[in-house]
This record gives sequence, C-alpha cells and structure tokens, in this order.
Amino acid sequence: MNSLKRILSGRLVLGALSIALVLGAYQFATVQPDNNPALLPPIPDIIASFFTNVEAGSLQQALWASLYRIFLGFFIGTSCALIIGCLVGWYKTIEFLIDPLIEAIRPIPPLAYIPIIIIWFGIEEFSRVLLISIACFMVCVVNVIAGMKNVPQVYVDAASTMGASRFQVFRTIAVPAATPFIITGYRIALAAAWTTLVAAELIAAPSGLGFMLQEGRRYFLTDQVMMIIVIIGACAFIMDRTFRAIQKRLMVWSEARD
Amino acid sequence: MSEIRVNDLTHTFGKGTPEALTVLEGINLEFSSGSFTSIVGTSGCGKSTLLKMMAGLFDPSDGEMTLDGQVIKGTDRKRGMVFQQDAVFPWMTVAKNISYGPRIHGEPKAAQMAAETKWVEAVGLKGFEDRWPRELSGGMRKRVDIGRVYANDPDVLLMDEPFGALDAQTKERLQSDLLTTWKETQKTVIFVTHDLEEAIFLSDQVIVMSARPGRIRHIEDISLPRPRNDEMRLTPEFLDIKRKLWKMLDH
Repeated sequence: MNSLKRILSGRLVLGALSIALVLGAYQFATVQPDNNPALLPPIPDIIASFFTNVEAGSLQQALWASLYRIFLGFFIGTSCALIIGCLVGWYKTIEFLIDPLIEAIRPIPPLAYIPIIIIWFGIEEFSRVLLISIACFMVCVVNVIAGMKNVPQVYVDAASTMGASRFQVFRTIAVPAATPFIITGYRIALAAAWTTLVAAELIAAPSGLGFMLQEGRRYFLTDQVMMIIVIIGACAFIMDRTFRAIQKRLMVWSEARD
Repeated sequence: MSEIRVNDLTHTFGKGTPEALTVLEGINLEFSSGSFTSIVGTSGCGKSTLLKMMAGLFDPSDGEMTLDGQVIKGTDRKRGMVFQQDAVFPWMTVAKNISYGPRIHGEPKAAQMAAETKWVEAVGLKGFEDRWPRELSGGMRKRVDIGRVYANDPDVLLMDEPFGALDAQTKERLQSDLLTTWKETQKTVIFVTHDLEEAIFLSDQVIVMSARPGRIRHIEDISLPRPRNDEMRLTPEFLDIKRKLWKMLDH
C-alpha cells in the first residue's frame, strides 16, 4: 500500500498526470458542439495530420532540413563562443579589446539581424545557419566568460606555486574549473537555436519545420500547425535531455550535478 | 641547501595612494635549510601576506627575499604552498591531484605513476586513489593538498594555516603525520598559524609577530626533544613556552 502510494506520488506519474489533464481539457473543448475545428482541431485530426505528412515524406524532409540547420548553427556558434569566451575570460588584454564589443552587441536580439542578413546574403541556406550561429554564440559566450572569471583563485594560486606557467594554468585549471558554466552555456544555446530556427524559417525558407508552420497557416491547416508545434517541443525536449545526460557524464566530479 | 632570507622587507598595500596601508615593516628573517619554523600572530599581523610573498604570489613594495641567494620573483616549483582553503582540484581524482606537478613538468609516465604511488601512501590515502575529492572528508582533502605539494618536490614548503578549518582530533593527527613527512624529506618548512600549541608542537623556532604594522616581536627557539608526541603537549616545559608566547600576542 505504502509503496503504491510512493509510486503514485512519484515524479513520472505526477508529470504524466499534468500532461494528461491538459490533453483531456483540450479534447473536451474540441468536442463541444460550437467548436470550430479550423481553430481548435481535435486530437485525432492532429495525429492524422502526422501520419499523412509522414506518408508523403514532407515531415521527414522538413525535420532533417531543420535539424541540419540547428546542428550546424549550434556547432559553429558554440565553438566560436568557447574559443573566444575562454580567451576573453582569461587574458586581460583580450578582455579589454573584445569585451566592450560583446557587451555592445549582446542586448540586440538575434532576430534583429534578419533584414541585414537577407540584404547581404539573400534568403540562402547560409543566411539561416548564420543567424542560428549568431544566436548560439551570443548566449553561450557570456556563460563561458562568466565561467572563466569565476575560477577560484586558490586553484590558480595552487597551480602557480607548483610551477605551472600561465598557459598551463589556463589549460589545466581554468578551463576544467569553468566547465559547469560552459555546459550551461551550451544548453541555453541549444534553446536559442530552436527559437531562432523557427523564426528564420517562418520568414524565408523553402523547407523546414518553420516553413511547414507557415504553410499550415496559409492554407488553414490548423491540425498541421498543432502537429508541428508538438514535434518541435518533442525534439527540443529530447535534445535537452540528451544534453543533460552528457552533462552528468562530464560532471561526475561535481557535487551539484543537476 | 634551501635557505630563505628576508631582508629589510616592508609592504604597503596601495603605496603612494591616500589609502596606503602598511602591513609589514622592517622584517629581517633567516630560515635555515631543513628547519621547521612557525610564524604566529593575531589576525592582521601580515603573516599570511609575508608567506604569499615568499611564494611569489606578489612582490613586496620594499626590500627583498632570497632563496639560496637568488631573489624571489614570481612563483616557482621550488617554493610549494599549502593553503588554508581547500585547494584540491575537484575535477581530478585523488591520484591525478597528487601527480599534477610531475605531469605539468612533463615527467615521463612512469615517474608520474611512481609519484602517485609514493605520495598517496605517504599521506595515508591508500585505497582512495580513484576517488573524487567530493567523496573525501575535510581532513583527507588536506592530505591530498599536502601530498600534491610534496610530490612536486619543492625545496621549501610554505603552509598558510593549513589545518585552520579542521576539528581538533583531525588536526592533531595531521600535525603528527606532517612531522613524520618533514623528518623523512628534510625540507625547509615555514608554517603560518594563529594556534600557539600547533606552532610549538611542530617547530624548531616560533616567530611571534605584532600587528598593524606587522613587525617581528620575538623569536623563540623550541628545544623540546624530537620525535615529538601528543603527550608532550601537556608537559610543564611545553606549557611554560606556551604561557610565555601567549603573553606576547596582541589580545
């Protein structure tokens, strides 16, 4: 009895319960006689839309197009953020040189670059990847810099008094000590990548999940719009969970692993 | 040979500014090779500052310090330091912490392994080689700190209130173990503490400092026989010294 109670009040059950409640309320609303399915498509329609699009191959195609952009933009953006952030956070000269620039650009939302990117590079694949890279870079670099600046002085002093050079302290002390911040930066960058991706594809893209959202709006395929929203949510969730698993592996040494 | 001399050292924080604060004034000291010296004084007497300057973490504003005749400038593996704070690198296992020095100095793998084996055992951490620092108690982490510095083979060991944050029993254990290691390695140790009993128990010589600005008030030679054991802490000779030095501290 007691163990059953424990299972029922567990994280998984309660989480599933809240999702089920929302879905139930939604479905209840759709079966009301005065519901307009073009505004609030019933759940079976949304599921049907999923299978129709999978059979046509359009969903897979959109998914791959979007994932490709996400991964490329994320990889380029975070790699630049890692290198530049480590250098800015550690070497005073580089900080004085580059930090004002980062601080000046940081408050600008990445979507504000869309017009200028279109003017310069057109509505090519390059433009979309560039936009995602910028978004990832901006949110990630701030965390990397913060991580490097928060390296406990006693670790630096301990390594120095053992004869480590400034560069050895950087490589063997500062970077590992900053990993918790760096990983957090990567996770925020991943979320930023999704946000930017959909925005970029809504405006100008011949393919992708954002394109399918736009298409659904244009032809009043509300079930397709709902289906894509769920797909995006699921993808972002799976990626974030994967990242957390990686984080746990990398941070076995840390006292606070979540 | 590893003799440290402090010549006419004065240190003023923010020298030349209106907020200038002189923390050390006219310090002249000599630490002979292989000796164990403690520096005691109430907080604010500049003892930690003096030690950090010996480590080369910053330069004195006036005067100089030498190690075997060479002026101390910047950090060097010859002058190892153990800090009051926990300085064990949490992202390395116990063994990797111990062999950090040999590793960054590019010593061959075999030498690194040998240092690990030797010093893990010497500081009493056998069986804990592959543990993460977060799994260790405060006392064990301090052992890692000490083993890591010894494995780096410095000439001089600078210790800045290393046992300050530990409970009394752990502290006494670590003090005895430190003496054992010191005797085996014959390294010069300079030990900063505010604990008189600790200073007397460990040292050949205890330097008493006065505060604001920090000056040398008295140097006491401790002639208690070695090896020392815990019972000595309660002998009349020990307590006489303690009483004498206690009166010299600023209260």
